[in-house]
Amino acid sequence: MSTFAMMGRILAKPFDFFEEIQEPGMVRVAQALYIVALAYLVRMLTLYAAGFSYQSREPYEISAVQELIWLVVPWATWCVAHWAVSAILDGEGKFREIVYGSAFALVPYAVCMIPVTLLTRILSLDESGTVQILTLAIYAWVAWLVLLKVKILHNFNLGKALFIISLSIVGMLIVWFAGILLFGLANQFISFVTDIAKELRLRA
Amino acid sequence: MNAASKCKALFVALLVSVLLPTSASATIPYHGYTYSSDREVRSIAGYVYAGSIDGTEDPAIGALNRPESLYFAEDGMLYIVDSGNNRIVQLDRDRRYVRSFGDVEGPGALSEPKGVYVKADGTVYAADTKNGRIAVFDAAGAFVRDSPKPESPLIGSTFSYSPSKLVLDKRDYMYVVSEGNTQGLLQIDPTGQFRGFYGANHVGFSWSRLFVKLIATEAQQRKLSAIVPAEFSNLELDAEGFMYTTTLGEEVNQLKRLSPVGVDTLNLGTARPYGDLYTVGPFAMASFIGVTVSPEGIISALDLQTSKVFQYDKLGNFLFSFGGTGEQNGLFVTPSDLKQDANGNLYVVDRGRNRIDMFRTTPFADLVHEASTLYVDGRYSEAEALWQEVLRVNGNYEMAYIAIGKAMYKAERYRDAMDYFELAGARADYSVAFKEYRKEYVREHFAVFAIGAILLFVALRWGAPRLIRAIVVRRRQAIEQSGVQASGQTDGEASSQGSGQAGAQGPGAGKELTR
Repeated sequence: MSTFAMMGRILAKPFDFFEEIQEPGMVRVAQALYIVALAYLVRMLTLYAAGFSYQSREPYEISAVQELIWLVVPWATWCVAHWAVSAILDGEGKFREIVYGSAFALVPYAVCMIPVTLLTRILSLDESGTVQILTLAIYAWVAWLVLLKVKILHNFNLGKALFIISLSIVGMLIVWFAGILLFGLANQFISFVTDIAKELRLRA
Repeated sequence: MNAASKCKALFVALLVSVLLPTSASATIPYHGYTYSSDREVRSIAGYVYAGSIDGTEDPAIGALNRPESLYFAEDGMLYIVDSGNNRIVQLDRDRRYVRSFGDVEGPGALSEPKGVYVKADGTVYAADTKNGRIAVFDAAGAFVRDSPKPESPLIGSTFSYSPSKLVLDKRDYMYVVSEGNTQGLLQIDPTGQFRGFYGANHVGFSWSRLFVKLIATEAQQRKLSAIVPAEFSNLELDAEGFMYTTTLGEEVNQLKRLSPVGVDTLNLGTARPYGDLYTVGPFAMASFIGVTVSPEGIISALDLQTSKVFQYDKLGNFLFSFGGTGEQNGLFVTPSDLKQDANGNLYVVDRGRNRIDMFRTTPFADLVHEASTLYVDGRYSEAEALWQEVLRVNGNYEMAYIAIGKAMYKAERYRDAMDYFELAGARADYSVAFKEYRKEYVREHFAVFAIGAILLFVALRWGAPRLIRAIVVRRRQAIEQSGVQASGQTDGEASSQGSGQAGAQGPGAGKELTR
């Protein structure tokens, strides 16, 4: 099915959606990447197109690269960490399904944030409660889809799904920690090598 | 004027406005700046150095030695606290020597005085810091009496009294800053009786302190440094009886305007950092040690940390800053106090350099002062033309955009007001103007909105249910048809029919034909 049809599916019937993607041949990773790209575009749109009173940042403070990192890195580490945790703890989901499901959980954000952003253009700050509630609802929807994904893909009960989610978050933090550690070590190593090279060049 | 000559005129005006401060920058060792959306941007300097008093210009005065403070009496007389020479020097309007206060010996001898206040009749009150008393001299320079350390159970016997600055209110009550005292200003009545502390700073709530209190044992808590309120460093009283104070050791609200009952009316409900933003870092916060107020309510304050003078309007909006640490004229070695004279010139006492530096306003500062005075009085429309002039000279001046926006809001030109607020980054003001504009817009296009609303209602009430019904019926038909076809096929083929699309029927039929 097309990406568009699948988006309609997860919005209208999330339970069926997560059952269906376990059928063979349903998961297309390219579609997942489209959705993440769409979510990124929507995120940039919300930053630039919000009404002036609702812009939380000056234009010069917005970095397209930083926004991309802030979306893709948590999403990708979630997929990896969640797959790792669930694979150990008897989850039935495959990595491809997890990637696909995690990406499609972002669909409510990608679809609904645009009207909310347009709404900020016709609301004053007095009415910010409306915008806040709508935004909160969208985030809650995304969280709900993530929960459903974990529960249905791996065939867990609710308690175990919540437990796996919190473990996955811990796993994400560990991945980040390892990443930063590696980065630091690599940095040290590179500067060590360049220093040796400099030393040799200056002394020889 | 055609477009080209207009352009040329604009260019010349720009050139002049750009060149003037740059050509003067040879003599101004600092650059003017202001803040735009909390970022520092270039502006035109508001004050320039205009000479010094160090006592050597007149042998009768004698060289100043570690001057601490100064005071302008209402008749224009200047009193300099010449701390190193243990005297107070009085100069007339033309800066000629009149007399000095402080005897060589006897009860009238001063010891490192740090502050002075002069009543309208010429009576001089000197904060005789090292002697721990207030010494009073008459207008002719003779010692009259003194007011020693006040006695009161409120103060306690361990209280160390070193008065450094003082003012008198209309009742002749003295308000005294005692160095190191964190309880507030001492209020002393004309008979020398202590009348209580005034306007004390408070220690705010802190989560970390609460946590420490819960966790730490009593012995550990005793070892921690005591949390005390911040101390006042200087004060000035305006004609309406409001007390302007500077506070040391705080990051926000270092300047306060205390009402006669001791309530801060400058920072009502806000925590506003005075001094430089972000430039000095968290471990070097501004420490204000001097404050002076113009009759219009413009506040100038001296920061020891950066050796800069900061000027704010009556509402606490930043206007100008000048000075800095250094040896050139216009910078300070160790500044200790400042005062404004009747002509709007600022006098900064440079203790480290044994002199007093005078600063005069630039035409730009005069313009801003005039505009800001109208603005803080709420006379926005009168101020608008002046602010436009400010912007013509200096397009970076954010204050002007806000002020013009408010003028336009008041004139009900909401769309223009929104543009100016957007330029100033004033989101709250923008939102208020936007709300009015929206109201106006809907009223003007009422017919469109009304018809649109009716159409929308009709579409939702009758159109949408009908559409949904039509879709459901079509889908059901499609499923029935594909079900009929699928019954004649193998199981594997049937699974591909799950898409439920009506269009799937065509290709499916075609496939069957080819078989």
